[in-house]
Amino acid sequence: MGEIAIATEKLTRTFGALTAVDAIDLKVQAGHFFGFLGPNGAGKSTTIKMLTGLLAPTSGRVELLGLDFQKHPVEVKCQIGVVPEGMGLFERLTGVEYLRFVGRMYGLDRATTEKRAEELLGFMQLADREKTLIADYSHGMQKKLALAAAVIHGPRILFLDEPFEGVDALAAGALKALLGRMTERGVTIFLTSHVLEIVERRCSHVAIIHQGRLVAQGSLEELRAGVAGSEGETKTLEQIFLSIVGQSGAEQARLEELTWLT
Amino acid sequence: MADVAQMPGVLAQLRLIAGLRWSLLKNSMQRKNNRWDLVGIIFAAAFGAVLVVGLCFAFFAGASAFLAGKRASWMGLLFWAIFLWWQVFPIFVAGFGANFEFKTLLRFPLSWRTFYLLGLGYGFADFAAVSAVCWVAAMVLGAAVARPEVLPVMACVSVLFVLMNVTLERLIGSWLEKILAKRKTRELFIGLFVLSMVSLNFLNPVLQRYGNAARPKILEYLPYLAWLPGSLAGSAVAGSVRGDPRAILLGTAGLLVWLGVTSGLLWRRFAAQYRGEELSETAAPAPTKKNNAIAASAKKAKGQSANGEWLPLVPATVAAVVLKEFRYLTRNGMAFLTLLLPPIMVVFFTMQFGNGSPLREHSLKPEMFFPAIMAYLILILISPAYNAFAFEGKGIQTYFMAPLRFQDVLLGKNLFLVALVTFELSLSLALLVWRVGWPSTAMFAATIGAGAFAVMGQLTIANWSSLSFPKKMEFGKMKGQRNSGIAVWTALGVQIVVAAVCTVIILAGKLLGNPWIPAMAFTGLTAAAAGGYVASLGALSRLAEEKKELLIETLCK
Repeated sequence: MGEIAIATEKLTRTFGALTAVDAIDLKVQAGHFFGFLGPNGAGKSTTIKMLTGLLAPTSGRVELLGLDFQKHPVEVKCQIGVVPEGMGLFERLTGVEYLRFVGRMYGLDRATTEKRAEELLGFMQLADREKTLIADYSHGMQKKLALAAAVIHGPRILFLDEPFEGVDALAAGALKALLGRMTERGVTIFLTSHVLEIVERRCSHVAIIHQGRLVAQGSLEELRAGVAGSEGETKTLEQIFLSIVGQSGAEQARLEELTWLT
Repeated sequence: MADVAQMPGVLAQLRLIAGLRWSLLKNSMQRKNNRWDLVGIIFAAAFGAVLVVGLCFAFFAGASAFLAGKRASWMGLLFWAIFLWWQVFPIFVAGFGANFEFKTLLRFPLSWRTFYLLGLGYGFADFAAVSAVCWVAAMVLGAAVARPEVLPVMACVSVLFVLMNVTLERLIGSWLEKILAKRKTRELFIGLFVLSMVSLNFLNPVLQRYGNAARPKILEYLPYLAWLPGSLAGSAVAGSVRGDPRAILLGTAGLLVWLGVTSGLLWRRFAAQYRGEELSETAAPAPTKKNNAIAASAKKAKGQSANGEWLPLVPATVAAVVLKEFRYLTRNGMAFLTLLLPPIMVVFFTMQFGNGSPLREHSLKPEMFFPAIMAYLILILISPAYNAFAFEGKGIQTYFMAPLRFQDVLLGKNLFLVALVTFELSLSLALLVWRVGWPSTAMFAATIGAGAFAVMGQLTIANWSSLSFPKKMEFGKMKGQRNSGIAVWTALGVQIVVAAVCTVIILAGKLLGNPWIPAMAFTGLTAAAAGGYVASLGALSRLAEEKKELLIETLCK
């Protein structure tokens, strides 16, 4: 078994009476492209926020690359890159100014920051928007910039919260190409997405969270093996997902109750 | 076929929307920060209520005195006062208005007429309208007490006047909304607005200097005011006192014409909104030209100061925050323009109270001018520090994602603020020296010391307030732009305490006959405040960690 990049122990977060994340034990090996799935409100974003230091856990531990996040927040943050929910951009900076700012915040020297900002903007096809404020970028351009900012310091783990949400095929192509390059370099990618096709195509390992609890974790093959199906049939991730969260066929049953719609 | 059996009537829809507003308010109270905010609003509302009730008595007394004492023609003055209040005040305090986009209701099957009535109805839901309606009611009551026979005309005129005012206010508001919908026009407009408000301060000195020469010209144009709503309402009421049906008819007809024209224009404006007019900015179009702009930018950057290295004595993270603050300032048109305020106010005050003013015999000496101007400028310049993260928006997450201690962010922000305040104060004091001359060396030193203490003494509390009571603000937006109520009261309280301490020390110097005592006292206090500031940074970093959910949630909305 290789190095563990992300490990949580009984990670819990409550909001008043609601337990959004309930004692999850997550393990992600270094270099894996890891998909974190769950229905709406299952606790995906809450978990990713706790894993990246944007939200304090109510109880439990987060360990990234063997370092306890609570005890070594600065050291851990140096090793990770994040595209958070809402992207976290300073909208009154231009793209290049934002990358320079982020590079310096991560402790890169001036020359490295300049070089990387230039290369990243070129790669993301944002280079000819030198004077445009981020506020005036389209949604896809903002996503590309947020990803560029998340990788400018060469993180060993990359957390992406819905990176393909609201992104057209062209912008998605650039994002996928960059992620592909990073996995080749051994970077661990932890991604949440509602688009199961993308997760199925990209991720080697998956975890599913439902009502705050981790209900499945493993490689796609392991998950397929755990779901009963007819012999010789290869289950899609969507089928696995619906089967695991107990929703398979539920829509049809519920739809039949809505007699007034037919 | 949809199952909508019967559309709710206008009243039912209004009830539903009132219920929606109430639920929004009630649910927002589930958050502690909003409850604190409400406390601030309640304080402000209490002050507002005192103003409204007090002026109700004044309007009641004015109306009854004018009507009983053969000065019915002066009623126009009361209507004019209400008219100006109703139309101008909402522009000044747009931030306190109902922050609810009633256009969001368009997704429901509202009839055009309901939409119009709802839009108009919202005009009654702000402070200016409520207070103006109270004052008009007080005038009607005053008329009923002084001259009961005038009541029918007074009541009719008042209803027309109220309807015309609410329509005109909504019309102006909807046009402003259209102008302010685009970022660039919005910032330009707000900048011009701020400048025009500032220049109003010069009206008095200009009138004092040129008033006599301009008076005949002004009097020449005064009769044209007779066609405006305030005068028309006044002349109709005065006509009823004199028993002059022509004046009553002309006044009410004039008001009806105003109501008709404003209603027609508002109808057109709302019709555009009802049809789905989209005012917000759209995403930038796809790039059209390919060039090596970024390479050019990088080349240029090599020759320029890059993030951090232009501030060699501080960590790169702190320098990056300072540079980011500078860039944000240059792109916040309104904040940038308000930096013009301090030197402009110095010129204004010296015109008004300096040696060259028409009030020469009451003119202030440099000994008084220096500390007074310093206190005023610090009041203006430090206030934003009490909500220092207001404009960060979603970028606040970057601070928590980056591998740094939050004290670096606070330090960067404070450093930039101190540099800005120093620059502004230096400029203003230089202007003051040019306009009124130097004060004594001891007073100059005391003023500088007091300034340093006032700034340093407030930074720690301002940082605490920024972390504890954040409130999101948006560039170039007027509606909903206000600090948390509790942050406003905190700032006010601290500034009163600091001003009181400074005043006592300066007076103590005078009383003890040693002009150097204040300078020495302020030096000691500034050192103590600086020590407190440094000691607080660690605790504030921990507070930021505790408050990060609140900050992210509030600013990322």
